[in-house]
Amino acid sequence: MSLRKQTPSDFLKQIIGRPVVVKLNSGVDYRGVLACLDGYMNIAIEQTEEYVNGQLKNKYGDAFLRGNNDLMGKSTTRKTLTLYSDGFFSFKMFL
Amino acid sequence: VAPEPTNTVEEPLDLIRLSLDERIYVKMRNDRELRGRLHAYDQHLNMILGDVEETVTTVEIDEETYEELYKSTKRNIPMLFVRGDGVVLVAPPLRVG
Repeated sequence: MSLRKQTPSDFLKQIIGRPVVVKLNSGVDYRGVLACLDGYMNIAIEQTEEYVNGQLKNKYGDAFLRGNNDLMGKSTTRKTLTLYSDGFFSFKMFL
Repeated sequence: VAPEPTNTVEEPLDLIRLSLDERIYVKMRNDRELRGRLHAYDQHLNMILGDVEETVTTVEIDEETYEELYKSTKRNIPMLFVRGDGVVLVAPPLRVG
Protein backbone atom coordinates (compact mmCIF):
# COMPACT_ATOMS: atom_id res chain seq x y z
CA MET A 1 0.00 0.00 0.00
CA SER A 2 1.44 3.36 -1.05
CA LEU A 3 2.07 5.97 1.64
CA ARG A 4 1.93 8.96 -0.72
CA LYS A 5 -0.51 11.76 0.08
CA GLN A 6 -3.98 11.05 -1.18
CA THR A 7 -7.48 12.19 -0.53
CA PRO A 8 -9.74 10.18 1.76
CA SER A 9 -11.84 9.08 -1.21
CA ASP A 10 -8.75 7.74 -2.99
CA PHE A 11 -7.95 5.82 0.16
CA LEU A 12 -11.45 4.38 0.33
CA LYS A 13 -11.19 3.14 -3.25
CA GLN A 14 -7.84 1.54 -2.51
CA ILE A 15 -8.96 -0.55 0.46
CA ILE A 16 -11.81 -2.18 -1.41
CA GLY A 17 -11.15 -5.89 -1.83
CA ARG A 18 -9.11 -6.18 1.35
CA PRO A 19 -9.96 -8.42 4.29
CA VAL A 20 -11.36 -6.36 7.14
CA VAL A 21 -12.78 -6.60 10.61
CA VAL A 22 -15.57 -4.19 11.45
CA LYS A 23 -16.13 -3.98 15.19
CA LEU A 24 -19.35 -2.35 16.33
CA ASN A 25 -19.53 -0.63 19.68
CA SER A 26 -22.12 -3.24 20.64
CA GLY A 27 -19.20 -5.69 20.82
CA VAL A 28 -20.02 -7.66 17.66
CA ASP A 29 -17.29 -8.26 15.07
CA TYR A 30 -17.88 -8.74 11.36
CA ARG A 31 -15.02 -10.26 9.39
CA GLY A 32 -14.92 -10.50 5.62
CA VAL A 33 -13.73 -8.89 2.40
CA LEU A 34 -14.61 -5.21 1.95
CA ALA A 35 -16.89 -5.02 -1.09
CA CYS A 36 -17.66 -1.31 -0.91
CA LEU A 37 -17.88 1.71 1.30
CA ASP A 38 -19.60 5.07 0.83
CA GLY A 39 -19.29 8.57 2.24
CA TYR A 40 -21.80 7.81 4.99
CA MET A 41 -19.65 4.83 6.03
CA ASN A 42 -22.26 2.32 4.95
CA ILE A 43 -20.20 -0.85 4.44
CA ALA A 44 -20.79 -3.88 2.25
CA ILE A 45 -18.77 -6.97 3.14
CA GLU A 46 -18.53 -10.31 1.34
CA GLN A 47 -18.05 -13.72 2.94
CA THR A 48 -18.96 -12.19 6.28
CA GLU A 49 -18.64 -13.94 9.59
CA GLU A 50 -20.23 -12.54 12.72
CA TYR A 51 -18.40 -13.00 16.02
CA VAL A 52 -19.96 -12.32 19.41
CA ASN A 53 -17.45 -13.59 21.97
CA GLY A 54 -17.09 -16.88 20.05
CA GLN A 55 -18.45 -17.46 16.58
CA LEU A 56 -22.19 -16.92 16.35
CA LYS A 57 -23.38 -16.85 12.76
CA ASN A 58 -22.00 -17.23 9.25
CA LYS A 59 -23.35 -14.87 6.64
CA TYR A 60 -22.37 -15.77 3.11
CA GLY A 61 -22.69 -13.35 0.25
CA ASP A 62 -23.08 -9.68 1.03
CA ALA A 63 -23.74 -8.10 4.39
CA PHE A 64 -24.54 -4.39 4.62
CA LEU A 65 -23.62 -2.50 7.74
CA ARG A 66 -25.43 0.77 8.22
CA GLY A 67 -23.22 3.80 8.46
CA ASN A 68 -23.60 7.03 10.31
CA ASN A 69 -26.52 8.83 8.73
CA ASP A 70 -27.12 11.20 11.60
CA LEU A 71 -26.41 14.65 10.21
CA MET A 72 -26.16 16.12 13.70
CA GLY A 73 -22.86 14.29 13.96
CA LYS A 74 -23.82 11.65 16.49
CA SER A 75 -22.75 8.20 15.41
CA THR A 76 -25.59 5.72 15.44
CA THR A 77 -23.23 2.80 15.84
CA ARG A 78 -19.57 3.48 16.40
CA LYS A 79 -17.48 1.19 14.27
CA THR A 80 -13.82 0.36 14.18
CA LEU A 81 -12.57 -0.78 10.81
CA THR A 82 -9.39 -2.83 11.09
CA LEU A 83 -7.48 -3.56 7.91
CA TYR A 84 -4.89 -6.29 7.60
CA SER A 85 -2.43 -5.18 4.99
CA ASP A 86 0.18 -7.57 3.59
CA GLY A 87 1.72 -8.29 6.99
CA PHE A 88 3.60 -4.99 7.00
CA PHE A 89 1.16 -3.14 9.22
CA SER A 90 -2.41 -3.06 10.31
CA PHE A 91 -4.30 0.07 11.13
CA LYS A 92 -7.71 0.97 12.37
CA MET A 93 -10.19 3.48 11.08
CA PHE A 94 -12.60 4.76 13.70
CA LEU A 95 -15.90 5.40 12.04
CA VAL B 1 -21.21 12.70 -1.11
CA ALA B 2 -21.70 12.97 -4.86
CA PRO B 3 -23.29 9.84 -6.35
CA GLU B 4 -20.86 7.71 -8.33
CA PRO B 5 -21.57 7.05 -12.03
CA THR B 6 -23.07 3.60 -12.47
CA ASN B 7 -20.15 2.21 -14.47
CA THR B 8 -17.75 2.53 -11.51
CA VAL B 9 -17.80 0.74 -8.14
CA GLU B 10 -21.31 0.54 -6.76
CA GLU B 11 -22.25 1.96 -3.37
CA PRO B 12 -23.44 -0.38 -0.64
CA LEU B 13 -26.97 0.97 -1.18
CA ASP B 14 -26.86 -0.07 -4.83
CA LEU B 15 -26.22 -3.60 -3.69
CA ILE B 16 -29.26 -3.43 -1.37
CA ARG B 17 -31.25 -2.48 -4.47
CA LEU B 18 -30.40 -5.94 -5.86
CA SER B 19 -32.31 -7.43 -2.90
CA LEU B 20 -35.57 -5.63 -3.78
CA ASP B 21 -38.48 -8.06 -3.83
CA GLU B 22 -36.23 -10.70 -2.29
CA ARG B 23 -36.43 -12.03 1.23
CA ILE B 24 -33.80 -10.46 3.48
CA TYR B 25 -32.53 -10.72 7.02
CA VAL B 26 -32.25 -7.52 9.07
CA LYS B 27 -30.43 -7.23 12.38
CA MET B 28 -31.71 -4.37 14.51
CA ARG B 29 -30.65 -2.73 17.74
CA ASN B 30 -32.11 -4.06 20.99
CA ASP B 31 -31.54 -7.69 19.98
CA ARG B 32 -34.20 -7.81 17.30
CA GLU B 33 -34.08 -9.59 13.98
CA LEU B 34 -36.43 -9.41 11.05
CA ARG B 35 -36.91 -11.74 8.09
CA GLY B 36 -39.17 -10.48 5.37
CA ARG B 37 -39.54 -9.45 1.73
CA LEU B 38 -37.98 -6.12 0.89
CA HIS B 39 -40.51 -3.92 -0.92
CA ALA B 40 -38.82 -0.53 -0.52
CA TYR B 41 -35.90 1.22 1.15
CA ASP B 42 -34.24 4.61 1.23
CA GLN B 43 -30.85 6.13 2.07
CA HIS B 44 -31.69 6.12 5.79
CA LEU B 45 -32.36 2.39 5.52
CA ASN B 46 -36.03 2.99 6.31
CA MET B 47 -37.64 -0.11 4.79
CA ILE B 48 -40.99 -1.57 3.91
CA LEU B 49 -40.96 -5.29 4.58
CA GLY B 50 -43.74 -7.72 3.76
CA ASP B 51 -44.59 -11.07 5.31
CA VAL B 52 -42.24 -10.42 8.24
CA GLU B 53 -41.16 -12.61 11.11
CA GLU B 54 -39.69 -10.59 14.00
CA THR B 55 -37.51 -12.33 16.61
CA VAL B 56 -36.79 -10.58 19.91
CA THR B 57 -34.05 -12.24 21.98
CA THR B 58 -33.72 -11.73 25.72
CA VAL B 59 -31.24 -13.11 28.22
CA GLU B 60 -32.34 -14.01 31.70
CA ILE B 61 -29.64 -14.63 34.27
CA ASP B 62 -30.40 -17.04 37.09
CA GLU B 63 -29.44 -15.23 40.29
CA GLU B 64 -28.18 -18.37 41.98
CA THR B 65 -26.43 -20.30 39.24
CA TYR B 66 -25.61 -17.25 37.04
CA GLU B 67 -26.79 -19.38 34.20
CA GLU B 68 -27.73 -17.46 31.04
CA LEU B 69 -31.12 -18.41 29.67
CA TYR B 70 -31.72 -17.15 26.13
CA LYS B 71 -35.33 -16.67 25.19
CA SER B 72 -36.65 -15.58 21.85
CA THR B 73 -40.12 -14.31 21.07
CA LYS B 74 -41.41 -14.35 17.52
CA ARG B 75 -44.30 -12.62 15.88
CA ASN B 76 -45.55 -12.36 12.31
CA ILE B 77 -46.47 -9.05 10.66
CA PRO B 78 -47.96 -8.88 7.15
CA MET B 79 -46.58 -5.43 6.27
CA LEU B 80 -44.08 -3.41 8.28
CA PHE B 81 -42.40 -0.01 8.09
CA VAL B 82 -38.93 -0.18 9.62
CA ARG B 83 -37.32 3.07 10.73
CA GLY B 84 -33.74 3.12 9.50
CA ASP B 85 -32.02 4.35 12.64
CA GLY B 86 -32.64 0.99 14.33
CA VAL B 87 -31.04 -1.02 11.55
CA VAL B 88 -27.59 -2.49 12.15
CA LEU B 89 -27.16 -5.01 9.34
CA VAL B 90 -28.97 -6.17 6.20
CA ALA B 91 -28.16 -9.46 4.45
CA PRO B 92 -29.76 -12.08 2.25
CA PRO B 93 -31.30 -14.77 4.46
CA LEU B 94 -28.72 -17.32 5.63
CA ARG B 95 -27.83 -19.38 2.62
CA VAL B 96 -24.64 -20.59 0.97
CA GLY B 97 -23.58 -18.16 -1.76
